[in-house]
Amino acid sequence: MDQISFDISIVEYGFFASAILVILVGLYGALVKKSLIKIVIGLSILESGVNLLLITIGYIQGGTAPVFSPQLLKDMPLTLENIKALGNEMVDPVPQALVLTAIVIGFGVTAVALSLVIRLYRHHHTLVIDEIKNLKW
Amino acid sequence: MNSIVLIFGVFLGGAILTYLAHKLSNILSSAFFVLTIFTATVLFYLKVETGDVFSFSLNGLHLEWGITSFSWIFSLIVLGLGTMAAVYSISFMKGKERLGYYYFNFILGIFSMMGILLSRDLVSFFIFWEIMTWSSYMIVVYEGRSVQKIGIKYILFSAMGAYAMLMAIVIIYSQMQSVMIEDLIYSFSSFSISYQIWLPILLLTGFGVKAAMMPLHVWAPGAYSHAPMAYTSVFSGALSKMGVYGMVLVFSTLISQLPEHTIIREVVAWLGGITAVMGTLWAITQDDAKKLLAYSSVAQLGYIITGVAIGTELAMLSAIFLSVLHALFKGTLFMVVGAIEKQTGTTNLTEVTGLIRKMPWTFIAALMSIIALAGIPPLGGFVGKWMLYESLIGSDHYILVILIFFASTAGFLYCYKFLFGFFLGQEEKEWDHVKEAPASMVVPMLILSFFSFLLGTFPGLILKPIDQGMQSLGYVPTEGHFWGMSVLFNEWGNAVVLQPILYAIMAVFLFFLVFLTLKGLKGTRYVTTKDISSSGEVPGEFENLSYKQNFFQPFLRAVEPVMKRQIDKYYTGIGNGIEAFFNYVRRVYSGNGQTYAIYVIIFLVILLLFKNNLFG
Amino acid sequence: MVGSPILFVAVPLLAAFLIPLFGFIWKELVRIVPGIVLLYLLILSVSLYIQVLQDGTIVEQIGGWAPPWGINLVFSPFTGLLTTLMLFLAFIIWLYSYRFKNVDFEPSKKYFILLLMLVTGSIGIVLTGDIFNQFVFIEIMSISGYALTAFYTGRDSAEASFKYLIMGSLSSMFLLLAIILIYSQLGTLNMADIASKAHLMKPEFRVLALVFFIVGMGIEAEIFPLNGWAPDAYSQAPGPIGAAFSGIVVKAGIYSIIRVTFTLFDVEGTMQFLVLMGMITLVVAEMAAIKQDKIKRMLAYSSIGQMGLVLVAFGIGTEEGVFAALFLMVNHALVKPLLFLSASYLVFNSTEKSIRELNGLGKYLPLTSFLFALGAIAIVGMPPLSGFWAKWSMLTAAANSNMILIIGLVLLVSVVEIVYYFRVVNRIYFFKKEEDVEPKKPTINAMVSMIVLGILIVTIGFYPDLITSYLHEASESLLDKGKYIQDVLSAGQSIIQ
Repeated sequence: MDQISFDISIVEYGFFASAILVILVGLYGALVKKSLIKIVIGLSILESGVNLLLITIGYIQGGTAPVFSPQLLKDMPLTLENIKALGNEMVDPVPQALVLTAIVIGFGVTAVALSLVIRLYRHHHTLVIDEIKNLKW
Repeated sequence: MNSIVLIFGVFLGGAILTYLAHKLSNILSSAFFVLTIFTATVLFYLKVETGDVFSFSLNGLHLEWGITSFSWIFSLIVLGLGTMAAVYSISFMKGKERLGYYYFNFILGIFSMMGILLSRDLVSFFIFWEIMTWSSYMIVVYEGRSVQKIGIKYILFSAMGAYAMLMAIVIIYSQMQSVMIEDLIYSFSSFSISYQIWLPILLLTGFGVKAAMMPLHVWAPGAYSHAPMAYTSVFSGALSKMGVYGMVLVFSTLISQLPEHTIIREVVAWLGGITAVMGTLWAITQDDAKKLLAYSSVAQLGYIITGVAIGTELAMLSAIFLSVLHALFKGTLFMVVGAIEKQTGTTNLTEVTGLIRKMPWTFIAALMSIIALAGIPPLGGFVGKWMLYESLIGSDHYILVILIFFASTAGFLYCYKFLFGFFLGQEEKEWDHVKEAPASMVVPMLILSFFSFLLGTFPGLILKPIDQGMQSLGYVPTEGHFWGMSVLFNEWGNAVVLQPILYAIMAVFLFFLVFLTLKGLKGTRYVTTKDISSSGEVPGEFENLSYKQNFFQPFLRAVEPVMKRQIDKYYTGIGNGIEAFFNYVRRVYSGNGQTYAIYVIIFLVILLLFKNNLFG
Repeated sequence: MVGSPILFVAVPLLAAFLIPLFGFIWKELVRIVPGIVLLYLLILSVSLYIQVLQDGTIVEQIGGWAPPWGINLVFSPFTGLLTTLMLFLAFIIWLYSYRFKNVDFEPSKKYFILLLMLVTGSIGIVLTGDIFNQFVFIEIMSISGYALTAFYTGRDSAEASFKYLIMGSLSSMFLLLAIILIYSQLGTLNMADIASKAHLMKPEFRVLALVFFIVGMGIEAEIFPLNGWAPDAYSQAPGPIGAAFSGIVVKAGIYSIIRVTFTLFDVEGTMQFLVLMGMITLVVAEMAAIKQDKIKRMLAYSSIGQMGLVLVAFGIGTEEGVFAALFLMVNHALVKPLLFLSASYLVFNSTEKSIRELNGLGKYLPLTSFLFALGAIAIVGMPPLSGFWAKWSMLTAAANSNMILIIGLVLLVSVVEIVYYFRVVNRIYFFKKEEDVEPKKPTINAMVSMIVLGILIVTIGFYPDLITSYLHEASESLLDKGKYIQDVLSAGQSIIQ
């Protein structure tokens, strides 16, 4: 198989850039903010940024949904050329599936994180992460 | 079944049985204990002959057990002293806690030492070496006193030594894909030159620790004095000899192949000499008999190391001879201290006095051993030291001979201190109740001191097997080579020139013994120590007339500058420094979750910055 | 075929969520069912493993989708070994925690659900042949790990869990980024497919993906400086979970990093990098361990150090090195759980869990103390226990690759290890018991589980050949990248035809 190349248009650059920007915002929240809640929010934003980046990969500008409906098949019988043409037109479904999974996981993690924050608050009566270090060295 | 496997099986099975029997009754356990060691000993001398080999393969390694005539000599030390100390242990340990634990580790100690001697390959050698280390460690900490200091120091040094050894073994294995000692001897000359230098050094470090060589000796006094005395006699007598055994192997088979071997020899010989001197000086300053003997052991091992390092036939012969002798007399002396500890409850030389009439048999054993230790004819130490001096002079080590001579002369001081402190001097009321130790403790001591007398008078008895053993290491037979040169021995080791003198001395000695005994029997008046009048003053009831409180003050003042430099302190300093540094390092784990997250990002950035250097 | 690898994932996951239902039938079932499930899986795993050794790798296609399109599970001599090991440990841990602390219905229900999920996640990581699927399993493992770390409410466990969670989230982000990079370049998620096409990636993307993988999985595999969460989580989680972390979870982390570096990418310098990181991890962890005053924290640092050693051994890169690494892993998987399990009974009733409280317990809990001491001797690599042979293989492998400096360093570090382990053992046996400590006798099932581990350690110590042939098979299977690719992809071919 030869090298898989893909053209990146200006718009797609924009998508990538904004996704990376979201990631950086999330990192900032997680690494710099001192409040536990804000850290959790930062992690969520981080998650979203990565998901955004993931979905951008499979995205084709003006592409259609990757569904072989009976209607579609009636219009375009499955010859090799047609499949190739469709391939250039349809967005890649795999990243979307991945993102769905990742969102679910992110949701779970956020839920656990928030419940932990509640417990930490009850235990330490503070949300400042610098003060929660009974375990060290 | 192969007899070697059988013996190991006896040891292991006996150890476990003894441990389990302890749960039922102490007597049963003690019986199993002695029985195990005796059975193994008898089996060993009846069944195992040189040339018997048991080889097997484990984890892809070819391993082999068998005995050479050289390791047979050391088996005499281990099993001889081991059986005696085992018998001695029974009474000595009576009434103590965790007997099963003690017996178990004692048997494992003897087992592992025999294993070391029977190993013909480096891996089983190392395995037995480590078993020896931890089983002896278990006994050092048995009484639970200052385990964190003494015990850890012992295990720390042992581990460093053992790992130096392991490193050497691993490199050897990678070089020749075999761990057989024989193969090592044959292919050693084909190793690269840096390995040829470093491997012996690593091995010597490993053995030097166990043999308490100078900068590595700091564990010894503590460990020797903290183990129960019954085990210390084995510990100092036999276990330290495993280090000597290894050193002999390294020097005679590896270092002798090096073209530039003299420098290593010189260094180790000097280290041995310094060990002897410093050990002696430290021994003199001790007031605790255990410590005194421990340092004395260090000093004695110094002589032996010097002899091994010099490595001429005579030097090696003397070193091995001294090893056997040292096992006999130092084993006895530690047993003596153990007996005194058992009967009086203390081993402080300034407290216990005048036991000569209360513990006469113990005194005889102590006296014989002290004579042997000090190197006075007709007991063994004299022969060994004579040979050592001769070999040193013969190989032009004049300064070293002065050093050793100084050490052995200064050795008289602590010998005297030991003998006087416990047995002679003013009798005190406090010790009136003291009785002779039980027979099962006295008999082993007497047997051992009898042997040191026998070997001193007829050194040929042991020199001949040693000579044969050394031939198996590639030494030319010493018979006819230096026997004639030596003023002292003919081929059977009986004196030619000195023989009449020797017998004369013995005759005088015997005469006095008989004379004094007869005189004693006639019923002379016994005086108490207070029954004196000095310069018209009659000493009071509680006045202490003993002058042993500050023994040898002038001498100690003279050597003080040397003594001040305690290596121990440097080690402690280094150790504390390292621990403080480690303690500082662990602060990277700051406890703040966010910091850890930042570490991740920093790590990522570093990887990305250096990705071209790191990857492809 | 006895059964299929899919059962290793499906059965425990199903059982985990059915446990509450079993609880309605009979409360005791909540405790019994996980054991039955794990035992069944263990037997299945052993029989599959034997079959694999004879007939070659089994590749299971989930839902009939052939690789490289569908998700597949690969049960090779290598992954099979790890699976069997993990299941064995999981069973031991179940046996131990059956009625651990006599917990009520509610907590034990949650506990066993989470434990089963933890095991599922770990086994999934090992078996799966698909990187995104692996990501999902890592998340399953991590989330149940967070919850288990915070299982006890009384302690600082929430703090530990939160740290673990922050790190875990970062880890999952980096893993996703790496997956994105690979997918955008190669359009595939199948490991074998990626491995066969990795050279087609642009070199800078390939290295970038590798870096992201290393950072993401390094967090799970406890590489320094990514392991800040580990000591906290180990020390705050319930005792058996500490054992599960050190015995199962870390192994999965190590596996994932090894799979990426050995099979997926063939980037030059990775091996040296593994050695470097392993060495740093080892040294820092052992430095941190020596002055600890909390027993489990000390064990945790020791565990991290051992993982560093495993990485070093993998990084040697030769068959011997991989063999040694596997040996170290097996040894560690037997010994460290033993230490955790016995230690958590030694400090059972204490709130501080400090080493001071172990003083003099040798008299009160003789067998537990003995097993702890046995574990301590085994982990520092003293003969005649299993640790020695593991260390020996590691050192000889290093020597055969001329890494003399590594040997020296590893041995020096071992000395440090000896010091702190022996200090603890000394305390157990030779110190006077603290008065406020009330030792608790282990339950019979806990005792049995520890004794089984102890017996294995001794047996392997005396007769290492018991496992070495399997380890050799496994290491060959890991190193033979071509066979892995062929096994997986040809399975797809045969379906198509």
